[in-house]
Amino acid sequence: MGKHSKYDAIVAGAGHNGLTAACYMAKAGLKVLVVEKSDWIGGAAVSRELHEGWTYSNCSYVCSLLRREIVRDLELPRFGLQVIPYEGGATLTPDGNYFAYLSDHDALRPEIGRHSKKDVDAYERFSQTVVRQCRFIRPFLLRNAVDPTSLKPRDLNEMLFLIRKMHDLGARELGETIRFWTMSIGDFLDEHFETDLIKAHIAGSGIIGTGLGVYSPGTAYVLLHHYMGDVDGAIGAWGFARGGMGAISKALAAAFEEAGGEIRTGSGVDRFLVKNGKVRGVALENGDEFEAPIVASNMDVKRTFLKHVGRSELPDDFVTAVERFKIRGSSGKLNIALDALPNFPAIPKGASFMRGDLHCSTSLAELERAYDDWKDGRWSSEPYFDMLIPSQIDPTLAPPGSHMMTVFVQYAPYDLEVDGVRSGQNWSDAQRKAFADTVFDKIETGCPDIRKHVLHAEIRTPLDIENEVGLTEGNIFQGELTFDQLIFNRPVPGYAQYGTPIDGLYIVGSSAHPGGGVMAAPGANAAREILRRNGRGKAMPSHAA
Amino acid sequence: MVSSTNPEYDAIVIGAGHNGLAAAATLARKGLRVVVLEQSAQIGGMSRTSEISEGVRASRIAHLLYNLNPVVAKELGIGSASSPLATRVIPTVTLSPDGRHVVIRDGTPAYADGSAHPEAATYAALRSRLHKFAQLLGRLSTMSPPDLSGGLSSMSGLKELGALAALGLDAKRLGKKDMREFMRIILSNANDVLLDELEDGPLAGSLAADAVRGSCSGPRSPGTVFSLMYRLAQGGDVALPIEGMGAVADAFAKAARHYGVKINTRTSVEKIIIEHDRARGVVLQDGSTITAKTVMSSIGAFQSMMLTGAEHFDAEAVRRLRNIRHKGTAAKVNLVLKDVPVFAGLQPDQRAGRLLVAPSVTYVERAFNPVKYGDMSTHPVIEAVIPGLADPALSEAGAHVMSAIVQYVPHTLNGGWTGEAREKLVRLTIDSLEQYAPGLGSLVAHADALTPADIEAETGAPGGHWHHGEMSFDQLLTVRPVNRLSRYNFGVGGLYLCGASAHPGGDVTGAAGRNSALQAIKDGVAS
Amino acid sequence: MTVIMKDIHAEAFAGAVPEGIVPTPFHDRLAPLSKAKRWTGWAGYISPLVLDTLEFEYFAIRNQATLFDISPMHKYRISGPDAARVVNRLITRNAEKIGIGRVGYAMWCDEEGMVIDDGTVFRFGENDWRLCCQEPQYSWLLDVAWGFDVDISDESEEIAALSLQGPTSFSVLQAAGLGAAGNMNPFDLTEIEKDLWISRTGFTGDLGYEIWMPASTALEIWDRLWGPGQTWGLRAIGYEALNIARLEAGFIAAGADFQPVHIAQRLGRGRTPMELGFGRMVDFEKGHFNGRRALLEQMKKGPRYQLVRLDIDGFEPADDALIYYRGKKEVGHVTSAAWSPTTKRNIALAELKAPFGVEKFEDLWAEIFVNHEGVWDRRMKRISFIKGPFFKNARARATPPAAF
Repeated sequence: MGKHSKYDAIVAGAGHNGLTAACYMAKAGLKVLVVEKSDWIGGAAVSRELHEGWTYSNCSYVCSLLRREIVRDLELPRFGLQVIPYEGGATLTPDGNYFAYLSDHDALRPEIGRHSKKDVDAYERFSQTVVRQCRFIRPFLLRNAVDPTSLKPRDLNEMLFLIRKMHDLGARELGETIRFWTMSIGDFLDEHFETDLIKAHIAGSGIIGTGLGVYSPGTAYVLLHHYMGDVDGAIGAWGFARGGMGAISKALAAAFEEAGGEIRTGSGVDRFLVKNGKVRGVALENGDEFEAPIVASNMDVKRTFLKHVGRSELPDDFVTAVERFKIRGSSGKLNIALDALPNFPAIPKGASFMRGDLHCSTSLAELERAYDDWKDGRWSSEPYFDMLIPSQIDPTLAPPGSHMMTVFVQYAPYDLEVDGVRSGQNWSDAQRKAFADTVFDKIETGCPDIRKHVLHAEIRTPLDIENEVGLTEGNIFQGELTFDQLIFNRPVPGYAQYGTPIDGLYIVGSSAHPGGGVMAAPGANAAREILRRNGRGKAMPSHAA
Repeated sequence: MVSSTNPEYDAIVIGAGHNGLAAAATLARKGLRVVVLEQSAQIGGMSRTSEISEGVRASRIAHLLYNLNPVVAKELGIGSASSPLATRVIPTVTLSPDGRHVVIRDGTPAYADGSAHPEAATYAALRSRLHKFAQLLGRLSTMSPPDLSGGLSSMSGLKELGALAALGLDAKRLGKKDMREFMRIILSNANDVLLDELEDGPLAGSLAADAVRGSCSGPRSPGTVFSLMYRLAQGGDVALPIEGMGAVADAFAKAARHYGVKINTRTSVEKIIIEHDRARGVVLQDGSTITAKTVMSSIGAFQSMMLTGAEHFDAEAVRRLRNIRHKGTAAKVNLVLKDVPVFAGLQPDQRAGRLLVAPSVTYVERAFNPVKYGDMSTHPVIEAVIPGLADPALSEAGAHVMSAIVQYVPHTLNGGWTGEAREKLVRLTIDSLEQYAPGLGSLVAHADALTPADIEAETGAPGGHWHHGEMSFDQLLTVRPVNRLSRYNFGVGGLYLCGASAHPGGDVTGAAGRNSALQAIKDGVAS
Repeated sequence: MTVIMKDIHAEAFAGAVPEGIVPTPFHDRLAPLSKAKRWTGWAGYISPLVLDTLEFEYFAIRNQATLFDISPMHKYRISGPDAARVVNRLITRNAEKIGIGRVGYAMWCDEEGMVIDDGTVFRFGENDWRLCCQEPQYSWLLDVAWGFDVDISDESEEIAALSLQGPTSFSVLQAAGLGAAGNMNPFDLTEIEKDLWISRTGFTGDLGYEIWMPASTALEIWDRLWGPGQTWGLRAIGYEALNIARLEAGFIAAGADFQPVHIAQRLGRGRTPMELGFGRMVDFEKGHFNGRRALLEQMKKGPRYQLVRLDIDGFEPADDALIYYRGKKEVGHVTSAAWSPTTKRNIALAELKAPFGVEKFEDLWAEIFVNHEGVWDRRMKRISFIKGPFFKNARARATPPAAF
């Protein structure tokens, strides 16, 4: 602790990872300041009232990935976090049928059998593979990424851990694992199921947030990224945070403040202060400066280094690598205030899956074509969406009898093409409205009366997400989840362990290993690394250590 | 029962493609008695020179040689006095709609008019880096994939890992920076890696096209950097075999015969004989039987399974073999021309190069889109050569063949391969080339179009796929052709795969055949 | 909630499947008999754990006659020109040795030789078979049958089944007008009336029959047995009583004594037939079958584990007990255990790590924890190995059976 610094550590950005890192550091006894450019905290885990009486989880919208070790360490339930598991989901077809992905296994079997006898048992084989892969990957989430180029004992130790885990798989499973990690979700599902509707329902998890199509190699792994969470042990289960996703940030902030931490909102970072290759603190947009020997950036790696660090402070190779980091936005969102629960004619009265995730994309080819549109700078003419009405089980989100609906849309480009020019600036109000209309048209295939119930709709394009949340190009994972950007490659080779070329400056957001999703693992891992490098490794609570 | 009789041969090789011949030659070189059985009248599989129209011969399917494995060539004497093979390295000409075509010679691009290309240095550096990485992988291509069944930490597992460890050491020798770059891009996609360094245009397009040729993927598909490296393994220069690709097959055949291999054409195998879980020989279509200690199959993995009978494979193996992805996407269109076409912006001698229609990476990716849904590209990617310009012996009548690989064309076309659809394919090819060579259409005297379905029918290549199976990471190394059958032995004792569906995969490398033969010898089943 | 749900679902989708477990074809008879109201879900169906009391139900198996609803079992028809080849490819034993009109117990394995499930194979004709088992196998059967001329159909829903077990079971059949079953030998299969099949099989090791019928006639058949059966002490039973009886008979149960490898989430849970003590059910000479090469490999290397039958000192059932060598080294665990009311022995099945149970049998101890009214006691009990079934009685094989 230098005598001129007011804080031991400063975290730039009050997203869930920033708050998690801050919390761990504060609990280890550091004096920590979190600065946040918005007037509210949470980053992409927020609840906002944008229409009077309605609360929107206007970015992330469901949780399952939040690591249970972190919930335990930070005692989040004591600070008000309530997670309500939700019950399956369904894909609705234009002809009034559906496939319901029921959470009750005994009911799911006949439901699959309604579409295909063969697919019933194929589902068991599918889920065995997915569960095994989840079990394989989970021990790695709260560890540092392996670095095959390093001979440091710590890194060799990580490498040995990996080799041991691979050895445990045995030759056959190792082969199956290699295949699973490198194949497309489309090919994977084609190997299991014959019903296109079932495949389309499951495939969505392989493309959410990515710049990949269902037939792009690597998307089976992305599916894992959505399945490896749990609501108390049930792998793959998802839940709603009561009060919206902001409840997670609120609980983290409360835990942080109880540990003595301080949060300043409305305090955007102008630049990270660096002297002689060492970080000194942060200068805010409002002119304030705060000093600390440790600075953790919750911003993505591009924003951190290309916008807020002087280029002269960084090695050229590093800047090039950061510039080449792929962070394409591919998702949009509609947050909708409804005057009543709209009618989904296909859904039986009292069906549990009405409270789950609803979709209207009915084939893999349709999903792949949705991707083709995005590649060319258009939003999908037949978009995939993940649509939920959480107010059915969380009445705090909307006035009595009214509802809040969240519609996550894949794909929408950041750099929209208009007249042959691709640019984020092409997102005019007219384009935004046309985008929303495309989504509403598609929703109408399963919910014909949706438009008449809409009181207000917030339209979020990748540009909006970038502007408001600060995620470059609106990429929800702070960088694409492809192999060239995972594990020892994340965010850039040689800097996969949260440190950066600037001494004392760390990356703690989803740009870092193990990547995106509201799991808080990057924040916890980064805190562990920071504390270790500052001689406080033992102060890290044991569960995430 | 044939097991009681003394086998006629030590090994039977099914299929006289270059891999089958390489396997046969490798076995015979070790003193084994080998016969190769080929169903068609001609040897060579996809490497064949045929008469396209009267007096005009050309490479019927594959037309360029660029990836012959030097270890295989040396071991078998391909290109030596006993098995001569003459080739001529030709430049690559990547065509540009604006007429500023780029000519790549010896790894250096320049504009066709001779002026320097602004990205020449960047391109050369990128290509040499990819080549360096490819050489690193080259070590893997001349060995069997590691056998991990003993576990990673057992002694046998460690031994198997030895070769991989050596690869790791090679990687270490690259230096930390290159090694990191290698590990970053190895699983990446061509689009990103190319466009990180090059402007999107014909130069980048040429590499994108090379990355996806013959495969069912676009430049944005992860894994395409690997396929580009694979292609650049021998440096990336392309060579035109004198007398066409048939000459390459002939060289392999000569090498095989040199070591005493018998090659029987027009000999179709009906069934592989299995007794007591061992291959004992084959039954031919005419009902006769040939016995041997080992049966090596260079045809597709799935097809080999069918020839053996599914009952000899575990259900999981059958399922995996059924699921091999081998959607052929490359058609071959051979245009017989009355005269040499004129390309706007190309010097006459530059027409003898490898002509690419791949004006940008984006173009290649867009060309890929339709084939995913069973349609032909509206704007295809084409690799064309006019071999007669470099090899006048091929055409006697002054006519020339323009040999074009056209992508993407589905194996199973929506609506089927009707006469109309074939005409459309020819029209599409001519129209795409005519953009660069006005008047080309009027020179076409005859067109010979082979869809992926035709290629499958003529050569047996599964799906008409050039590599007998997509070269993507889920079908490579220890999982090629499928998990648990990657060490050439095909489940049943004495039965081996020796074609492109086995490790290391496709192209005219000869490695799969040679590795398989060595593995069979090592397993002690042939002698 | 009711307020929120108002005004929706005007027209429900007609094909909707019910959520939750569903009744079997016999539920209408079982439900009124249930005093205990202890039900469980079995393959998606409502199935009784206990209907009255465990003791009454168990003793009825050994002294009277019992009906257990086995309709939730999975049943698959395998028919067509290649049916026998497909069954032989599937199971480890030689299917050709199962005659027409006979039933055989069988196991089947994955490519690594690990048991997928066990069950019974019914041979109706040369190429007309049924597989009856615990775990769903439809897509696995399709995989095994790929490339063969055979038809696989799932009959699980169409076929209802009752297990009639106990010394007076034949007498019950006779009373119900089905006395023709008297000349059936164990493992015989007969169509005793049109669409009514009886096999002399069961899971109790006692005299008993399994009765197979279209689901539409289920209640009619139940009533036909139930009324006349009363004088022979016929009782309806739940799974818990059956579980004791099957253990006495030395039968293994999927999910307890072995983990069906297709649904095991964890690695390394699979076991081979040899490891389960069923090496005699593997016929290496019959040609290729699934897992043959892996099993052959294990024959060379020897088993990694051995499932054994144990007689344990004392009276406290050894559920979940660990097995120790010389009281210190942990070498295995109990997979099923019960106090056997008939043999008055403390019996168990246990899995030991080789060489224990294979060539080492001495100085092995079960660690049993007992809680009596809140006080825990740890007891180390000596174990001894039993070769055959714990309970065996000649009446199980008597043909024709008497009114035992």
